Amino acid sequence: MEYAVETFSLTKIFSGWWGRGKVYAVDELNLQIRYNEVFGLLGPNGSGKTTALKMLLGLLFPTKGRALCLGGDGADPKINARIGFLPEESYLYKYLSARETLDFYGRLFALPTKVRRMRTEALLEMVGLKAVANRAVGTFSKGMARRIGLAQALINDPDLLILDEPTTGLDPIGTRQIKDLILKLAQRGKTILLCSHLLADVEDVCDRIAILYGGRIQTQGQVKDLLQQSNKRQITTDAISDAAVEKIKRIVHDERADCVVTSPMDKLETFFIKTVEAAQQQAQPTSGAVSTTQIGGFLAKEVPVENILDKLISAPVSAESSPGSETTEPVVPAESSGPQPDEQLLSRLAEPTKPTEPKGVVSEEEAGTESVEPESGREQESPKSILESLTDRPKTEHEDKEQTGDNQGEPGNA
Amino acid sequence: MHSIWAVAANTIKQALRMKIAAAFIILLMVLLPVMSVLMTGDGTLKGRLQSFVSYGLSLTSFLLCLLTIIISIYSVTTDIEQRQIYTVITKPIRRSHFLLGKLLGVILLDVGLLVLFAGIIYAITICIPVFLGKVLGVILLGEASLVLFGAIIYAITIHVRFLWKALGVTFLSLALLGMVSFLVYKIAIYTPDLTLITESELAEANNEFFTARAGLTPGKVDVGQEVEETYEKLKKTGQIEVFFPGLSARDIRAQLTVQEKLRKRAVPVGRRLVWKFDNVKPTDPNGSLFIRFKYEVSVNPPDMKVYGQWLVGDLRPILYGTKIETPIFRSDRIDGDLVRTFHEIEVPAQVVAKDHYLGVVFINVPLNDTVVIFPLEDGLEVLYKADTFTGNYIRAVLLILFRLIFLASLGILASTFLSFPVAMLLCLVLFVIASFSVFFVGTFDYLSLGVGTLYSYSFKWIIRLLPQFDTYNPNKFLVPGRFIGWFLVGKAAGFMVCIKAFLLFVLALVIFSFREIAKIVV
Repeated sequence: MEYAVETFSLTKIFSGWWGRGKVYAVDELNLQIRYNEVFGLLGPNGSGKTTALKMLLGLLFPTKGRALCLGGDGADPKINARIGFLPEESYLYKYLSARETLDFYGRLFALPTKVRRMRTEALLEMVGLKAVANRAVGTFSKGMARRIGLAQALINDPDLLILDEPTTGLDPIGTRQIKDLILKLAQRGKTILLCSHLLADVEDVCDRIAILYGGRIQTQGQVKDLLQQSNKRQITTDAISDAAVEKIKRIVHDERADCVVTSPMDKLETFFIKTVEAAQQQAQPTSGAVSTTQIGGFLAKEVPVENILDKLISAPVSAESSPGSETTEPVVPAESSGPQPDEQLLSRLAEPTKPTEPKGVVSEEEAGTESVEPESGREQESPKSILESLTDRPKTEHEDKEQTGDNQGEPGNA
Repeated sequence: MHSIWAVAANTIKQALRMKIAAAFIILLMVLLPVMSVLMTGDGTLKGRLQSFVSYGLSLTSFLLCLLTIIISIYSVTTDIEQRQIYTVITKPIRRSHFLLGKLLGVILLDVGLLVLFAGIIYAITICIPVFLGKVLGVILLGEASLVLFGAIIYAITIHVRFLWKALGVTFLSLALLGMVSFLVYKIAIYTPDLTLITESELAEANNEFFTARAGLTPGKVDVGQEVEETYEKLKKTGQIEVFFPGLSARDIRAQLTVQEKLRKRAVPVGRRLVWKFDNVKPTDPNGSLFIRFKYEVSVNPPDMKVYGQWLVGDLRPILYGTKIETPIFRSDRIDGDLVRTFHEIEVPAQVVAKDHYLGVVFINVPLNDTVVIFPLEDGLEVLYKADTFTGNYIRAVLLILFRLIFLASLGILASTFLSFPVAMLLCLVLFVIASFSVFFVGTFDYLSLGVGTLYSYSFKWIIRLLPQFDTYNPNKFLVPGRFIGWFLVGKAAGFMVCIKAFLLFVLALVIFSFREIAKIVV
């Protein structure tokens, strides 16, 4: 079976009473999502993203065409057992506590009691709701409900994760965490179908995207191919003298090219996360979700404990991830490059045997920057380029000067 | 299977925690003890017991029926409307299992609540004769503790995770119940009915209430021939138009039939009426039989009493002049019996002949100076003890449970394709029709003489499809201490649960598996 998700001219027509007012919500959709791929389904409101997902899962029946999930029907319980689904809003039973909610979903998967308890606790810790685990979900804020929603999608350790707008209602830390989690899960061999109109989120994590408009795919392809500007180069250095800069400028000039030099700025996201982490270190009380730096807790913790998960993890992944653990020593001051904290978190996640502690994270800020850079570069420019491709302009037209993830290199100038 | 239980447990939690059930539970918890003190019936012990059991069970049954309808509809429609079903149905659970889980949850909740309240009613009923003659406070204390017990169970079920909350609820309910008990005590103390029980009252209660008696009614009499003869005679003499102006032949025959049947049950002064029963099999040959009767008279006697003479036993030897083997019981009723009221004569069971034959004779003594008529439906019955009150009570509760199971299926069916308010309306209407089906059928049958075919091919069938709650109404049996046979229980289970509820549920499954679960969002 080549594709994790495949649709064949999937069409959904909504018609009004007595067949009047036909609306093509999804029109001849042909999606192919490979295994172990993070696929982003983009589109403005009402472009048919959610309808497509619902047809994949059997919540809606297609008017025409067919959808296959993991090689079978998305409504088949056997297939469902391997799918995690987060709907566009966290529809939860208000009267259940967070722990009972996860327990309930665990029961639906017929997980053995021990495994269910273990996963419930691990997931609660992961989404940072352990402290409020006994509170009724109805009293949760939207973001907290979202976290529980995500946790319930993960309780079966799914092979295919379908996330519909996973980051709505989440604070920046939560958003960052979900993105990190998605990357981490992808590393572990999961297939993820992400559906969103928050372009930055999609750009950070997706391997491939498709842009939907009016129920049709307007464009699709590798994020790298779609967004990379082959006519630009970017160099990032440590703080160097003005003389050196002049030298570089001269060299560039000799190449008959333009060059702008600035100090990279922190992204607001990074800055925000740092601030909150600092506050957490001072142990400030909060009634909301806590221990937010702990994404890795779930995986790092669960891996050694759970046999089922062990089996699910492919061997190469753990081999790949182990070198990451060396990067935990602080090397460079935190301000120097944008996306490090997440990178550092990631590397910690990747280490399967080491349990994370919530507080240690802030001090060990630094990590290998190299793997993150392509991502962070894209992050900066994403809204522009995707919007443009949405309006059918080729993405290579626009240019930008700085790609290190700073806000300063004015994204629009040609 | 796991998923069915998970959904069922979730449904129960929903019902308890969303406080839908709470209103009903608290209402019953408060009303039942209050009723036990305030319901005095006709003032006798038997009357008090009868009215308490009948009102208590009716109220419990009615409230649980409502609760079942509400919960079964609520739990499915909110899942769909608030879309929790998106996350549930995309887990490895079949749609049929989802509905089965909902049904099972509602039924389990019903069973729990029914056992609780039926238990309370039973305990109070048993306690009334023991404590009534003694200190009132003792009854109240007993009842209050029963209720408290229920409240604690309820509090623990809801807040099993939070001990302090459970304690808080328990304490509050304790305080509330203390207040209620005090109030009830104050009311009761000024209620004049609370007198000591006499021996005869106790005996009456034991014989006619704390028992399960099977009844034999005289077999149906075929009067077809007489009716035809009369009709022809009237027609020949041209009196039809005089006596029955403007009526159809069918209606006239119906009226003549009633007249003819009544004539067979009428006893002029100085005459006698004989009933013959075969197959009388009392469980205890040394026990008692009861002749239960009601007089109707052509002319009201001045003291409204009839002085009859009764003979019970094997009367064939007298008729044929053979040897008398079993005793014949005679009762002169010298105190007279009020007309249009039920009376019972206790007869030793030995009077029944070896071949289970029993004859009953009523002699209209000349003192009466009026024709005595025994009403067709309930004029005369022979009763004998067939089971204990407890066994009968359990079967009565089973009858209520079947009704609840049917309603749960109905509610789930309605909620698979209707929204909450519409489904509620539909179910309530059907519930009312089912509760008064005999009345409806009777009324429309009468109407149909004019309306005709339209009715008999449409509405009549709808009523037929619904279960007849009133036919299987347990109060009809418990109040007069009638035996509820296993045959009746089996019939109720077969019709209401195995056929009707099952069909409804299958229909629900079909609709649910072919409908789109997600709302249409473009």
